[in-house]
Amino acid sequence: MTDVLLQVAVILGVLNAPLILAALLIWLERRFLALLQDRYGPNRVGPLGLGIVLADMIKIFTKEDWVPPFADRAVFTLAPAVIVITGLMSVAVIPITETIGVTDLNIGLLFFLAMSSMGVYSVVLAGWASNNKYALLGGLRASAQMVSYEVFMGLSLMGVVLMAGSFSLRDIVAAQQDIWFIVPQFLGFVIFFIAGLAETHRLPFDLPEAEAELVAGFHSEYSGMKFGMFFVGEYVGVTVIAAMIVTLFFGGWMGPVLPGIVWFGLKLLFFILIFILLRAALPRPRFDQLMAFGWKVLLPLSLLNLVVTAGALLLWKA
Amino acid sequence: MTLIYYLAAAVAVISTAMVITRSNAVHALLYMIVSLLSLALIFFTLGAPFVAALEVIIYAGAIVVLFVFVIMMLNLGAEATARERRWLQPKAWIGPAILTAILFAEFLVVVATEPAATGAPAGVGVKRVGAALYGRYVLGVELAAMLLLAGLVGAFHLGRRVPSGDEEDES
Amino acid sequence: MSDAPAAVAELEGRFGADAFTVQETRSGFPTLWTSRDNLPAFLKFLKTEVPRPFGTLYDLTAIDERFRQKRDGQPESDFTVLYHLLSYERNEDLCIKVPLSDGDAALPTATGLWPSANWYEREVWDMFGVRFDGHPALRRILMPLTWEGHPLRKEHPARATEMGPFQLPDERQEREQEALRFRPEDWGMKRTREGTDFMFLNVGPQHPGTHGVIRIILQLDGEEIVDCLPEIGFHHRGAEKMGERQSWHSFIPYTDRIDYLGGVMNNLAYVLSVEQLVGMDIPDRAQVIRVMMCELFRIASHLVWYGTFAQDVGSLSAVFYTFNDRERIFDIVQAVCGGRMHPSWFRIGGVAHDLPKGWQAMVRDFVNYMPDRLAEYDKIVMQNRIFKARTQGIGAYTAEEAIDWGVTGPGLRACGYEWDFRKKRPYSGYDQFDFDVPIARKGDCYDRALVRVEEIRQSLRIIDQCLKNMPAGHYKSDHPLATPPRKERTMHDIETLINHFLSVSWGPVIPAGESFVGIEATKGNNGYRLVSDGGTIPYRVRIRTPSFAHMQMIPLMSRGVMVPDLLAILGSIDFVLADIDR
Repeated sequence: MTDVLLQVAVILGVLNAPLILAALLIWLERRFLALLQDRYGPNRVGPLGLGIVLADMIKIFTKEDWVPPFADRAVFTLAPAVIVITGLMSVAVIPITETIGVTDLNIGLLFFLAMSSMGVYSVVLAGWASNNKYALLGGLRASAQMVSYEVFMGLSLMGVVLMAGSFSLRDIVAAQQDIWFIVPQFLGFVIFFIAGLAETHRLPFDLPEAEAELVAGFHSEYSGMKFGMFFVGEYVGVTVIAAMIVTLFFGGWMGPVLPGIVWFGLKLLFFILIFILLRAALPRPRFDQLMAFGWKVLLPLSLLNLVVTAGALLLWKA
Repeated sequence: MTLIYYLAAAVAVISTAMVITRSNAVHALLYMIVSLLSLALIFFTLGAPFVAALEVIIYAGAIVVLFVFVIMMLNLGAEATARERRWLQPKAWIGPAILTAILFAEFLVVVATEPAATGAPAGVGVKRVGAALYGRYVLGVELAAMLLLAGLVGAFHLGRRVPSGDEEDES
Repeated sequence: MSDAPAAVAELEGRFGADAFTVQETRSGFPTLWTSRDNLPAFLKFLKTEVPRPFGTLYDLTAIDERFRQKRDGQPESDFTVLYHLLSYERNEDLCIKVPLSDGDAALPTATGLWPSANWYEREVWDMFGVRFDGHPALRRILMPLTWEGHPLRKEHPARATEMGPFQLPDERQEREQEALRFRPEDWGMKRTREGTDFMFLNVGPQHPGTHGVIRIILQLDGEEIVDCLPEIGFHHRGAEKMGERQSWHSFIPYTDRIDYLGGVMNNLAYVLSVEQLVGMDIPDRAQVIRVMMCELFRIASHLVWYGTFAQDVGSLSAVFYTFNDRERIFDIVQAVCGGRMHPSWFRIGGVAHDLPKGWQAMVRDFVNYMPDRLAEYDKIVMQNRIFKARTQGIGAYTAEEAIDWGVTGPGLRACGYEWDFRKKRPYSGYDQFDFDVPIARKGDCYDRALVRVEEIRQSLRIIDQCLKNMPAGHYKSDHPLATPPRKERTMHDIETLINHFLSVSWGPVIPAGESFVGIEATKGNNGYRLVSDGGTIPYRVRIRTPSFAHMQMIPLMSRGVMVPDLLAILGSIDFVLADIDR
């Protein structure tokens, strides 16, 4: 009985953690970005301005949740839910330590890819259902961008799968006992990182919501909690991609001295900060440049990575 | 597992019926996604997780997105929905529906009279799928690859702008 | 302006001495009167036939002459339309005036000769009701389409209290909104091509990428811009009309708000023009103070542009850095002028006060601080590969096109045409300074950026020279019309006291005449054309702004590019809405 209760507690904990993390990330991103940009950021409410998290939540929960009369109501409501659900489902397969984790699916990696490909619908449907030209352009960009980058994302991970010999994320972490996959799979890491940026449509690849061009792109018409869902969904997405990087390339929970969960948390934080850093540092490429870069550079590179890894493994095993 | 299977099957049937009857193209596609997801779940319960994942990644995650993409590009408005509704008269669907019903009845008879297949199939892992594809069915895989390549080249050719028309465009 | 009469002689040789009369003005270049019938041949001759032609239609405006008293020697006219032509090759200006009568105010269009005439003629139609026959789309440009009357006509009320209370009942609101609806057919645009529907997208009037209230209507095929149509006037406040009811002195604060990033740079163009009317000499110290403050504002304006341009292509951080630096400039401006963005600090005859104690330290700190920052921005913006990919080859035009469309300033120099009014026609003692005129070659967004960045460095050089060589002397002229007059002697002799009293209470009486001064402002060439009827207020104030001409080029630059490129182009031409609409 206690086993079951413990299991439920872990599931609830792991699924709630990203939501709380997302709220904290809002604070983290604003403070860190401010630090990089010679300004203060939110520093008024509470110690270190942490109260902004609460203030933001109160604001977003109490704001009028307005559905434009010209929108497709059902789809408009469905879209923001999709991004949060798919994000949380992805979290379910991530092994946080040897023991903590919701489920150890034998096709965990494929499950992650499947969820990330489902996440596209959130953005695309939001863009369509808003019945707004800017949102539509954002949705169009999102669908092309995310469908394309999923391809490279999947392909870039095949090297890791070959080396670990399993789709199970827990097996993959275990296979990094001797050497983290960042070393043999550096190319795969770079491609996965870029594709992950594109999948979460964060700057520099925030083309679906490019503020200067498309106002707010696919979520131009959203307000209140529905907007909040996109907001949370984005941070859950960032967390998931960072967690996947840690799991696939940086040995997951493994590390000396400190317990696994601390190592996992530190690595996760590092990559989340890198995400924010990139946002502060880089301009945004044009849509066609992004697509050309994907299909003309990332695709051949990820295929090359796959072939070379497979060949090397065959040679080594033979 | 059996209960989940039947639930998923019911969802698949209902959502597929909704795909046919929706007059709004995007709503129809949404039901199609649900239908594909329930199919994936069926595969999963039948012990084929790899196929289930591919079902979601490729069909639901990529192909249907392209459908949505095209529909967004066409920017269909309320009139397209109204036209769909007009087309969805009983006289349009009654014929195929009767024919399908006959086939379905035959299928039921066959299932009822034939002896049932024995037991649940054993799980099919990724390795076995791979081995089958690149071993026994390698010719089929290669042929399919050729076909896809031909399709890709064809699409590129069709999608290219004809340069001669460009002068007029500048008007 | 060396051989000004050459063009006049050429015109005389071609059309005979009877074809025009010459008017005396203070502007320093010939002003000719001709008739409506002669005008097309005149313009064609000057644009296409004369050697070293007048390539730029620098300004086109009108004067409502009906209430003007001191017009001795000028032909009978109710409305005078004025063509200000500029030849870069000759470094020469020429002004052609055409008299029109109230009942028959119409002229043939000049859009066939200069594409830039399009908006200028629309503006004259909008403001004065002068028709231009053959104009492709003669409709209001600054005022709402539903407006009644032509604002710059003298009988048009200048303030809201003269017009009756404003009311907006539902049906009127609907009418106004309907007037804003865009119909592609009105502009000769097609809705479809080869079976594909175009999407028409309103960028603005409220849009984060336009830096203000402007509406650009895009005709889109996917994300590719087939054609576009800028619509301006949302920021129109009638600065020219206000000029007709402000004293010569009290108009100065209005000029600050024209190019609102340029601060005292606007004052300079205006006060130079007033001083030209008077023929006033400015003490050296005042000149150098003016130059120093103007160059500080040039840097401030360029810094705003630098940051926002980077932001337009998606780089979030640069704007915070450059605004911080701009804040340092404002600290100096505040110490010197008291104000920050709009100090209204120049005066007719000099500046408002002398420099404060300790100004050298502040300016020196800034001059020493800035180069390192610029080097850093070079790394994070100009050398960034994504930034280059977004801006190189985008929105390019040639030097010929630039001259045709009336482009001035960095936009012209980015095409490799080395022309800076500070060098070619030194005003305010710019000839005493040692600085380079940066140019680039390709005329695309990146090159425009390069020129501006280098201009910041050159401005720093000028400021450094001001710092090291600030002359002693007065900060304001001794001339009796210097406003407000210098007060030292008012308590000693009655003449000066009376003069001071009148000058302060009524404002200076500026002698009748016409003047024009153009300066190298932050965004291009800004010029003030003033007509005085010998009173305490101007009879006509015409403000020639660079952004107006630049904005008109947007369709030329953005056809065939994608939506994000449009934002890069908008960022690169560095416009200010108030500078377009005035």
